[in-house]
Amino acid sequence: MMPNISVKINGTVTSVREGVTILDACKTAGVEIPTLCYHPDLSLAGNCRMCLVEVEGWRTLAIACVTPVTPNMVVLTHSKKVRHARRTVLKLLLASHNVNCPECERNKNCELQELAEIHNITSNEYQTSPKPESIEEVSPGIMRDNSRCIMCTRCVRTCEELQSVAVIKPVGRSSSVTISTFMDRSLNDVPCTQCGQCIVRCPTGALFETSEIRPVWEAIENPDKFVVFQTAPAVRVGLAEALGLPIDRSTGQMVAAIRGLGVDRVLDTDFTADLTIIEEGHELISRLKGALVDNDKSVALPMMTSCSPGWIKFIEHKYPELLSNVSTCKSPQQMFGALAKTYLAGKEGIDPANIVSVSIMPCTAKKFEKERPEMRDSGYKDVDYVLTTRELARMIDEAGIDFEKIAEEKFDRWMGDSTGAGVIFGATGGVMEAALRTAYEIITGHEIPFDGLNVEPVRGMEGIKEAAITMPERMATGFEFLAGVTLKVAVAHGLANAKILMDKVQSGEADYHFIEIMACPGGCLGGGGQPIPTSPEIRQKRTESIYAEDAALHFRKSHANPEVQLLYAEFLKEPLGHKSHELLHTHYIKRD
Amino acid sequence: MSRNPQEIVSDALAEYGSGREAVLQILTKINRELSYIPEEAVAAVANAVGVSNAEIYSVISFYSFFSTEPRGRNIIRLCTTISCEMNGSREILETIEKELGIKAGATTPDGRITLETTSCIGLCDQAPAMMVNDTPHTRLTPPETRRIIAGLE
Amino acid sequence: MSEKKILTATEQPDTGSALKKSLGMTSADVVFEVRESEIRGRGGAGFPTGIKWNLAGAASGSNKMVICNADEGEPGTFKDRYLIENYSLKLLEGMTIAGYAIGSSYGIIYLRAEYPYLIPVIEKARENLIRENLLGENILGTDFNFDIEIRPGAGAYVCGEETSLIESLEGKRGVPRNKPPFPVNSGYLFRPTIVNNVETFTAVPHIILNGAEWYQGLGIGNCTGTKLFSISGDIENPGVYELPMGSPISELLEASGSKDVQAVQVGGASGATITADELDRSLSFEDLPPGGSVIVFNSSRNMMDVLENFLEFFVHESCGQCTTCREGNVRLLDAVHLIRNGEISSMEELEPFFQLAEVMKISSKCGLGQTSPNCFIDIVTRFIDLPDEKEGE
Repeated sequence: MMPNISVKINGTVTSVREGVTILDACKTAGVEIPTLCYHPDLSLAGNCRMCLVEVEGWRTLAIACVTPVTPNMVVLTHSKKVRHARRTVLKLLLASHNVNCPECERNKNCELQELAEIHNITSNEYQTSPKPESIEEVSPGIMRDNSRCIMCTRCVRTCEELQSVAVIKPVGRSSSVTISTFMDRSLNDVPCTQCGQCIVRCPTGALFETSEIRPVWEAIENPDKFVVFQTAPAVRVGLAEALGLPIDRSTGQMVAAIRGLGVDRVLDTDFTADLTIIEEGHELISRLKGALVDNDKSVALPMMTSCSPGWIKFIEHKYPELLSNVSTCKSPQQMFGALAKTYLAGKEGIDPANIVSVSIMPCTAKKFEKERPEMRDSGYKDVDYVLTTRELARMIDEAGIDFEKIAEEKFDRWMGDSTGAGVIFGATGGVMEAALRTAYEIITGHEIPFDGLNVEPVRGMEGIKEAAITMPERMATGFEFLAGVTLKVAVAHGLANAKILMDKVQSGEADYHFIEIMACPGGCLGGGGQPIPTSPEIRQKRTESIYAEDAALHFRKSHANPEVQLLYAEFLKEPLGHKSHELLHTHYIKRD
Repeated sequence: MSRNPQEIVSDALAEYGSGREAVLQILTKINRELSYIPEEAVAAVANAVGVSNAEIYSVISFYSFFSTEPRGRNIIRLCTTISCEMNGSREILETIEKELGIKAGATTPDGRITLETTSCIGLCDQAPAMMVNDTPHTRLTPPETRRIIAGLE
Repeated sequence: MSEKKILTATEQPDTGSALKKSLGMTSADVVFEVRESEIRGRGGAGFPTGIKWNLAGAASGSNKMVICNADEGEPGTFKDRYLIENYSLKLLEGMTIAGYAIGSSYGIIYLRAEYPYLIPVIEKARENLIRENLLGENILGTDFNFDIEIRPGAGAYVCGEETSLIESLEGKRGVPRNKPPFPVNSGYLFRPTIVNNVETFTAVPHIILNGAEWYQGLGIGNCTGTKLFSISGDIENPGVYELPMGSPISELLEASGSKDVQAVQVGGASGATITADELDRSLSFEDLPPGGSVIVFNSSRNMMDVLENFLEFFVHESCGQCTTCREGNVRLLDAVHLIRNGEISSMEELEPFFQLAEVMKISSKCGLGQTSPNCFIDIVTRFIDLPDEKEGE
C-alpha cells in the first residue's frame, strides 16, 4: 500500500495516501470541488475542465479528478485564477447548451444548472452565436436531445464500461462532435438495450425516458376506463428519493399516493414476482430432470432468468445461440399485464377492453418490453403504459400530494399480496435468493438452511457472485434424482458482468445450473428509471431498504403468497400448466 | 471495377491482423481502395477487431481522410491554410469549382472527382498546393489546375 | 551568424558510422551523450530529449518503443517532409540509435496522411539499411535487433501531440491522454515509449559522431545545436533553412529574401506573431519558440484575414474532447467576426475574449488548446487598432 503523504490544501496541511487524486485528497480535507465528467462508477475522463485547481509551481491548472497528489503538493481550490477559469468553463458550456430549463426533464435536478447557480453565472459574454435548438430523438424507452449535451461522455463510458454495449460514441471532431451511434442511427436501430443507465448518469437533460405521463393522466381522467397500476419492487425504495426525500422504503405511502391520483386499483408487481418464482422454479426443476434423468440433450443448462428486459434485449443481440437457456417465463411486469386483463378482469367483473394497465417501473427497458409483439396474450396489449419511478414522482408532485404526510395504505386485493421473496427481486441476487427459498423447499420438503432464510452468498455488490448448495440425501417424493446433487448458481448485475459470464458459458468453462442476470448495476434498484443521481453509496442504501422490507414482511417465500395460491387454485390450476403456457411464458428472437 | 468491400476487408485483416492497433491501417486500406468506407466494411472491421460498430464509426469520423459517404474515384484536397491562401488558393478553388460545377465537399455527378479543402498539407514553400489522391501538385495556376483536372480518369 | 548546415549539409557522414560508434558504447553512455548535448525536442514543445530517453531507459516494462512523430501539421511547417525526402537514412539511423539507447527493438514512424508519397522513400531507406546490416537482426554483428515500421495517419492535426499520436497508433480517435502516466512509462500499448520529432532523430547521428560539446557549441545558452526552419509567405525564396539555435529572426529573413515585412509568425499558428520592429528577437526556446514554421506577411496583408484563417484552422482541428479548446476556439473566432462586422469596436469589449484566451492557455488538456489563443492575443493586440473604450460612452 502507498504511504501517507502531506499535502497543503488551501493552507491546511492534510495527510492523504500517496497516489490518490487531488479530488479525493480534497474530499478528505473537506473541500468540495465541482465536477461534471467525473462519476464514481466510471473511468476518469478529465475532459470537462470543471475541477481545475491551482498547484504551486505549475504553469497550467491541474485537473483534480485525474491528477495524483505528490508529497508536499500545495493546492489552491478557489484562488482568483481557479474561480475565473471555472466560471469561464461554465460559461463556455452554457453558451452552446440549449438552456430551456423550464421545459427540461432535469430542471432542478441538473448538475450544470446547479453549478451555474453556485458560481453565480447571471450573464454570458461568450453567447456570441445562437444556442442550439432542440433535436429530439425517440426510442421506446430512451429519448435524447443533443442540444443539451455537454460532451462529458459519462453516457459513453456507462454504455461501454458498465454495460459492454458501446452503442453510443463521440462522433466527429472539434465543435461538431456529438454523441451518436453507428451511422448516426436512432437508438431504436442499434443494439441499445434500452437499460437507461446512460440516463441516470447524464449530468444534464440530454438523455431522459420516453414519457408516458400524458396518456396515463388521460386514462385516469376517462370515467370509462378501469385503471390498474402495478408497482415494481424497487420503486418502493426509490420513490421517496425521487420526491426529494431521504432514501427509504415507502410502500404504504406509495400505495396511498397512487390511489390519490385517482387510480382504480393499486396492485403489486411483487405478486407476479412470486408467481414468476413458482413458474421459473418448476421450469428449472423440469430442466434439471430432463438433463440429469432423461439425458435429454435438447435441454439447455444453465437456465437463465428472464425478468430484466435490458438483459433479454442484450442476449438477443449478442448471444442469440444461448437464447434456449433463457427461462421462458415472462417478466413479472408482463405476467401481471396478462393476468390483469384475464384473471383480474373476471374477478372484478370488468370488460378487459376497458382496463388500462399501467406499470410503475425502475426501468426504461420495460417501456420497450411492453411493446414487444409477443406481449398480447390476454387478447389485448398486456401492459398499456410504463412509467418510471421518476415519472410517478412527477405525477404525485403535479397532483399536489404531500408524500411525507400521507397515511400509509394497503394494496388492493387479488393481485396485491406480496412476500419478502417478491420484494428482493429489486436487488441483485434477489431472484436467485427467492428461487432458492422456494425450489429448495419444493424438492427437499424443508426450508433452505440459511439463517433467517437470508441467502447471503448471492447478496451484495460484487459484480459476479457464485454459490453452490448441496442437496441432502433425503428428498421430497418425485425429486429423488436430485439427492446429493450440488446445485451451482451464479448472479451477475451490469451487462459487462453478464458478458463475462456468458463468455464462460459459451466456452463451456462454466458449469452452473442457474444464472440470474440483471442488466443494471445493483439490480432493479439501480435501474435506468430510478432517481438521479446514482452511485455505489446510493445503491447500497436502496439495497438496505429492500432487505429491510423483506425482513419486515409476514411471508418471506413466494409459494406462501396466499393470493398466488388462490390464483393457482382458481385459475391457473398448476405451475407450467396449460393456462400458464398460454399467458405467462414467451419466446425470444435473434436480433442483429 | 473495384472489388467488393468484404474482399478488401479480408485482405486488410490478413495484412495487418485484427488487433485493435491495426484499425487505422485497415481503414486506410479500405478508404484508399474504395475512396470511402462503406457501412458493411465498418461492421466487418468492428466484428473482426471485437469492438462495437459505433466504436469504428467513431474512429472514422475523427479523421479528415476517412469518409463513410461514397466519394469520387479521385479526391482533390486543396489546401486553404494560410500560406496557400496568401498565394491564391481561393482562386484555385474557384477555378476547380467552376470547372467541375460542384462546391467544396461535393462529388461530381459522374462520380469522377470529389473536391475537398484541407488543412495545411506541408507544401507551403510551393503554394498554392493540392493533393490529388496520393500525388502533390504545387505552385498551382488556374490553367495548370484545369490541365490536371482534365487528366483525371 | 548565417546558415549553418549540419542536418542539411550536402556532405553527410557515412551511413551507419554513428550507429557503429554507438554500438561500441554502452547504452547509458549514448543516453548520456544525448543528454549532455542538451538537444531539446524539435517538434515545438522543446522537452530535453536526453531526459526523455533516460526516463524511458530506466522505466520498468518490456517491449519499449521508439516512435517518430512525422505528423507535422502546424500551418507553414514542412521541414520534416524535407528531411525525409532528403535525409531519411539519417532519420532511421537516429531512431536505431535511440532504440539501442533505451533498450527497444521496435520503432514506428507515424507519418501524416498528407505525405503518402514519402512512404516509398522511407521504405527504400529501410531496405538499404537492412541490406547493410544497419537495421534488422543482429545489427553489425551485435545482438542488437531493431526494425522500423511506417504507420500512416488519417488527417488530424492534433495527432502531432504525442499522446494523441499514441492513441491514433492504437487504432483509436486521436485524443490526448491525461498525464500522468507519461509515455516514457506507459505509452504505446502501455509500453515505455519515447516519441521524438523527425528533426530530433535526424540530429542524433551528428551528435553521436561529433560529441555533445560540439553540439552545444552550435547554439546559444541552453538552446543548443542548429534548427531547421520552414519559411513561407511573402518572401522571395520559401523553403527550409538551417540556422544555429538562437539566431535572430532577421538572419532567417535575410537568407530567405524578405523585403516588405509587416508581421512574422514564428512557430506556426500556435506560435508568436511579431511586428517588423521585433526582428532582432531570437529563434530560441527562451524567446520565440521555434517549432519549425516561420510565415512572413507583407504590408498588404490584412492581419484579421490571417487571424480568421488560423482560428478556422483550430476550430477545425481541435479534437473536441476538452471544453476550453472545443468551445473556446469557436468563441475566439466569433470575436473575430464581431470585430469585422463592427459589433465589437473597442478593446474594452474584447476584454472577455482576452480573458478566455488566458483561461484556454492554462486549462486546456494539451498543447493545441493551450497555444491556439496565442495568435488571437498577438494579432489583436499588435495589429488591430481599436480604441480602448466604445465610442460614445
